[in-house]
Amino acid sequence: MEPIVYVALGMALGAGIAGAASSFGVGIAGAAAAGAVAEDEKNFRNALILEGLPMTQSIYGLITLFLIGMTAGIIGGGGFKFAEPTTQNLIKSAILFGAGLLVGLTGLSAIPQGIIASAGVGAVSKNPKTFTQNLIFAAMAETMAIFGLVGAIILIMSL
Amino acid sequence: MEVSTITAILDTTLAVVFTWVAYKTGQIIWKYTPYSYPNARIKAMEARLLSDQRILELSESRTLQNFVVNLEDSDYGSRLTSIENVNLRNVEMALELSLVDLLELMVKIMPKRVKGFFELLEEGIDVRNISNVIKAKLNGLPAQDYIIPAGKMLPKVKAIIEAKTMEEILVILEGTEYEEPLRKLLLKEITVQEFELELYRNYYTKLFRYASSRKGEEKVILLEFVRMLIDERNISTILRAKMAGMPPEDLKKLIIEGGSLSKATLDAMVNAEDHVMAIGELEGTKYGQVIRDVREELESGNIEAIERAIRKYRLTRMKELAQFYPLSVGVALTYILEREMEVRKLRAIAKLIVDGVKPEKIKELVGEVA
Repeated sequence: MEPIVYVALGMALGAGIAGAASSFGVGIAGAAAAGAVAEDEKNFRNALILEGLPMTQSIYGLITLFLIGMTAGIIGGGGFKFAEPTTQNLIKSAILFGAGLLVGLTGLSAIPQGIIASAGVGAVSKNPKTFTQNLIFAAMAETMAIFGLVGAIILIMSL
Repeated sequence: MEVSTITAILDTTLAVVFTWVAYKTGQIIWKYTPYSYPNARIKAMEARLLSDQRILELSESRTLQNFVVNLEDSDYGSRLTSIENVNLRNVEMALELSLVDLLELMVKIMPKRVKGFFELLEEGIDVRNISNVIKAKLNGLPAQDYIIPAGKMLPKVKAIIEAKTMEEILVILEGTEYEEPLRKLLLKEITVQEFELELYRNYYTKLFRYASSRKGEEKVILLEFVRMLIDERNISTILRAKMAGMPPEDLKKLIIEGGSLSKATLDAMVNAEDHVMAIGELEGTKYGQVIRDVREELESGNIEAIERAIRKYRLTRMKELAQFYPLSVGVALTYILEREMEVRKLRAIAKLIVDGVKPEKIKELVGEVA
């Protein structure tokens, strides 16, 4: 494949996989939130906060998209920097592709986060006092996405 | 390395990683997403279960009217407030119907792949109604008093109540699974007890088959639930039969297969000298601790104690499974068992209030009877 294809794939997969995972995560937690609110509308606030947690992975994906785009020259003008199909350009493109893939794959943590948040919505509906604990449980899944973003930034900065 | 080699490695890695990720993600989403809505809803309902304090307050109601008023803001409110004439039978019926409402709700909200199990649980109402009506008819009792006005077969049950002869009932039940056992009963090939057992055997077999046909944790949870139901019935049947002096050959026919107790244990219980010896056979099984807790009551002939203890054990076990699998059918089954226990407590309180028992005594008794 041409270097630009790898860079474009890196951008697309970073934002795409993380975004899709976020949507699944929010969907799972959202369904639980709907169930909790259907029984008692007082659950709305807590359910909304827990439902929103898996959304952050898509933000990391978007940040990565911009960072890759800027590093490769696609965003901000100046044209694509690695257009020549040389080994060096191919490696640089592959690194950017890897950065995007890293954020995309670690962004998949939004799905288990949605599942944890979903169980958390149920637990908080039963006992609102457990809100903070359930928030922390769900936030734990976020760590992997943060590691992914940090890893991607290191990869991008290496160029 | 050649450029083509690098791209080949990258492309292959990409394909492998994506195939694996897509498969795993799909698997996780398929497994958990359908339980998200119903389980959160059930957890919210659990928050409305009556606390021990509330049960104690209800014990102080003094009149049935007050008891009903005190429950108006609970999940039983809609059923209880629609009672025209507040008496024990109507209150008990309203409480029972609230459980039927719960099963109907479960059928509506549970994922498609386990919905059938709750439909089968609803069929239990038909089995109970038909069995009770036939027994009442044979004993010349008013059959109307022994049914719950619910279930898929309610129109047929009502027709059976109106029927003048047993042959007429047979015609009403024609084409259903109840026809054959009734025919055998009318031809005196089986006793009333065996007729009732036949209906329950069919019912439990259906539950067992359904549970066995599921996959993964659903299969684990549903099978354990059904097995405990069958165990409870078998243990209760054996102990009651032993107390009534039924010969082992006759008792063997009343055993339902599919429970968690081994054939050897069941045979040993069936052939035991008396109910105390039969209880002893359970020592090495998972019901060993359950038996030890109520041994004195059992030995004195209170068989209800073991039924109550097994019900409590079943609830504890389902709670464990629900905690282990938070997004699974275990949550719904636990809630159903919790509500059943609550209804038992409420029925007991209502009965004790009507019997004129003092609130202090009701508070003492309510934990024991539930």
